[in-house]
Amino acid sequence: MRTYKGYIMLLVAFGITALLIFVPLIIGINLSFTNRNLLYPTTQYVGLNNYINLFHDPEFWIAFLHSGILVSVVVALEYVLGILLALTLKQNIPGIHFFRGIVMVTWVIPIVATVIMWQFMSQPGYGFINMILTSIGLKNYATYFFGSMTFAFPMIMILHLWRNVPFFGIAFLAAMQAIPEELYEAASIDGASKWERFKYITLPGIKYTGLIMITIHVIWTFNQFSIVYIATGGGPINATDVLPTYLYRQVWSNYNIGYGASIGVIMLLILLAFFFIFNRTYGRETT
Amino acid sequence: MKNEKRKTHPISYISLILFFSFFLLPVLWILYASFKTGSSITNGKLFSLGGFTLENYRTIVQRGDFLLYSLNSLIIAISVTILSLFTGIIGGYALSRYAIKAKNTWISIMFIAQMFPGVLLIIPLYDLMLNYHLVNTIIGIVIAQSTLTIPFAMWLLKGYFDGIPRSLDEAAMLDGAGVLKTLWSIILPVSIPGVAIASFYSFVVSWGNYLMVSVLVQSNSTATLPIALYRLSSSLTLQWGNIAAATIFIVLPTVILFAIFQRWLVSGLLGGAVKQ
Repeated sequence: MRTYKGYIMLLVAFGITALLIFVPLIIGINLSFTNRNLLYPTTQYVGLNNYINLFHDPEFWIAFLHSGILVSVVVALEYVLGILLALTLKQNIPGIHFFRGIVMVTWVIPIVATVIMWQFMSQPGYGFINMILTSIGLKNYATYFFGSMTFAFPMIMILHLWRNVPFFGIAFLAAMQAIPEELYEAASIDGASKWERFKYITLPGIKYTGLIMITIHVIWTFNQFSIVYIATGGGPINATDVLPTYLYRQVWSNYNIGYGASIGVIMLLILLAFFFIFNRTYGRETT
Repeated sequence: MKNEKRKTHPISYISLILFFSFFLLPVLWILYASFKTGSSITNGKLFSLGGFTLENYRTIVQRGDFLLYSLNSLIIAISVTILSLFTGIIGGYALSRYAIKAKNTWISIMFIAQMFPGVLLIIPLYDLMLNYHLVNTIIGIVIAQSTLTIPFAMWLLKGYFDGIPRSLDEAAMLDGAGVLKTLWSIILPVSIPGVAIASFYSFVVSWGNYLMVSVLVQSNSTATLPIALYRLSSSLTLQWGNIAAATIFIVLPTVILFAIFQRWLVSGLLGGAVKQ
């Protein structure tokens, strides 16, 4: 096929992408070296000052720590629960096709709506969770969970799980169904136990899908802003603050554009480093 | 495998119930509340027979501004979808079919673009849009939201096109069809699952997007449903009946689209990664 036409198409597509994404990104990186503030009339280059300040900013480290914990705990749980969900959906239960079809609906619901549903579930007095707690004699634990220093962060994790576990489950289900049944039969004849078949056939069979799912979800979870912002705004105090919400506050509440941009650049560097390492470790196995 | 009569372990029933209580209860609970009067929502009883009403929905619809927000959301989501599809199809096809130099670099760039934090991108976008008077405009919102959908759409469509035999294109071109004609009348019709999922993804991301609009919307005339719903839920007097109805109002279109598109969802989203 004539290649020049391919270049024209590529040029159009990447032209749009460059204009919308890469030009702003470069400007954003550039801003991170300035003291730009929407309240000040002038902007000056300050070199690495923003980054140095970040290093000494305890609130940044709190958000950094929370982001790290959130991503590792949530993605690990999504992986495990996704396998359990896939195994469940694989069974010959009556009406299972209905459940397979409906399960990913949590993933398409707008995050504002998701958060409101769970806030409603957690209302003191008349929220579903608290009414259940009260009725089984645990009234002392009934509280507005998003407002609690102890429970707010776990609630944020639950919201992520609610949204993403079905995606993991359905993806793993598809991967499991693609494993040839003969493998299991041959293993059974050789006397492999159920657990051994799972460990040596199912788990390796879904590994590739799992790696892709981890990759996508590390990005999505790390960059996820709305769940925390809408549910708690990062609070109470700093209990649920993550890097995206800290950045957002710096920029749109304090108008510290340069400082906020430097947080964004650090976020991007962290993701790139993650990918470099992840690819080095697993890349060869998947290609 | 489907015909195999395998015994279903009782644990799988328990597991199914636990999983689906977790996934469906929050949705069903707010759906239930949306048909209840304010006092019967907050009386602290799990189930009460009385107090059913359509008043919440009537209030939301009669507010009038909700229809404006819906229209804004719809126009923006459709525009984002068209822009993402156009860019994704052209770029994905070029990357899939042509012997382009440093192809892997282009693909990596597209992949890395998905990592860019939205919270970072909106800063320079806002700065740029101030200069071009695009803040608080529908076009500005479409541009900002497209940065979230274009890389994924292109990545997804490239993967889908890769799975379509090249002989199809070659046959069409031998018959004298141009590139665009081949793409439009031969390739796209057999790529419906991929195109459907790219559209669905773009639409849903735009419809639910809060981050970009929270920065770019500065008046009611450009507000979208997520903004309206957030305002409603963070107002001082919590009218749970109205909030519940508004929540269903914003969720319903995505659920309807989901019902139509869900059969292509996994194969589309994971591209060639999952072979079914």
